Amino acid sequence: MLPRAAWSLLMRTGGLGARGTHSPGSTAGSQRRRISPYVDCYAQRSYPMPDEPFCTELSEEQRALKEKEKGSWTQLSQAEKVALYRLQFHETFAEMNHRSNQWKTVMGCVFFFIGFTALVIWWQRVYVFPEKVVTLTEERKAQQLQRLLDMKSNPIQGLAAHWDYEKKEWKK
Amino acid sequence: MAYPSQLGLQDATSPIMEELMNFHDHTLMIVFLISSLVLYVITLMLTTKLTHTSTMDAQEVETIWTILPAVILILIALPSLRILYMMDEINNPVLTVKTMGHQWYWSYEYTDYEDLWFDSYMIPTTDLKPGELRLLEVDNRVVLPMELPIRMLISSEDVLHSWAVPSLGLKTDAIKGRLNQATISSNRPGLFYGQCSEICGSNHSFMPIVLELVNLKYFENWSVSMV
Repeated sequence: MLPRAAWSLLMRTGGLGARGTHSPGSTAGSQRRRISPYVDCYAQRSYPMPDEPFCTELSEEQRALKEKEKGSWTQLSQAEKVALYRLQFHETFAEMNHRSNQWKTVMGCVFFFIGFTALVIWWQRVYVFPEKVVTLTEERKAQQLQRLLDMKSNPIQGLAAHWDYEKKEWKK
Repeated sequence: MAYPSQLGLQDATSPIMEELMNFHDHTLMIVFLISSLVLYVITLMLTTKLTHTSTMDAQEVETIWTILPAVILILIALPSLRILYMMDEINNPVLTVKTMGHQWYWSYEYTDYEDLWFDSYMIPTTDLKPGELRLLEVDNRVVLPMELPIRMLISSEDVLHSWAVPSLGLKTDAIKGRLNQATISSNRPGLFYGQCSEICGSNHSFMPIVLELVNLKYFENWSVSMV
């Protein structure tokens, strides 16, 4: 169902995905993997409250808690409420939406390859490129420019339009 | 010809090229509008926290984004066809010049009055005089009278070539066994450069075209001297 690369990332990071490798610290609980709607053990930001609860195999304690939940909620302590939430949803909204450091890895790789390319180009300039043509010397370029101005090439909006023929200089 | 740091088209030398420049402005504006709209929508999509996972259909927007591109295409097509037909208008040329493409040079024939023909080879870089333009200069330029309509008949002796002079808005394929016609009408004198525009072998990049538009007197003297 998932493509190969995604599967291998899933296996390597113990179900945490690409964000998992970059996140400092671990999140609460490491339940066994479940596929949709909890993809990679994490709820999707676009589907934050799946119909099925996160944990379905409950220990003795947890089943007792679920029984207590059927009564009045004012009798639940804060810790019990949090435990029930974790059973149902595994992560808070803040945890689910947290940012990762993946961008740093991406930018690092990008800069690395830019630098490598720069090395390749420098090597090419030294060992591969032939001599520059004679028409690229400053003197010849100046003579060509003078010829273009003499023949009034592009006199409407282009080159000769920007040259002041009386004052023999570029128009300001 | 093209000049350093040029961004747009070369200045128009003929009325058709002026029309083409205006058409290019019009079409490019449409393209910029569409591209900036798409870029804006992409940016919006990438920078929102909202999600919607259950879209089923969107009939209203689908209708709009089908009709609107059709309207835009019509707005592009109408000016385009107008210029296309304008190029083919009757204009009573005063002179007919034939050019044949070869591998790898052009030959020109002015056979209306005298029997004048010559080949036009590129000047190699090592033979350039100071100030001449590399890969653009030729030994024999095509001298033509300015401000008069001239018919060009273009064909080829071997493979496909294309006779192009951007500042006059000309590009016509040279096809063996076929005569293609183009009309030159220059507003001003000067040198106008072009290059072969259909791949034709190893020296395809080295068979340029240079038109020298001059006044009629000079043209007459030149054609007499060349025969």
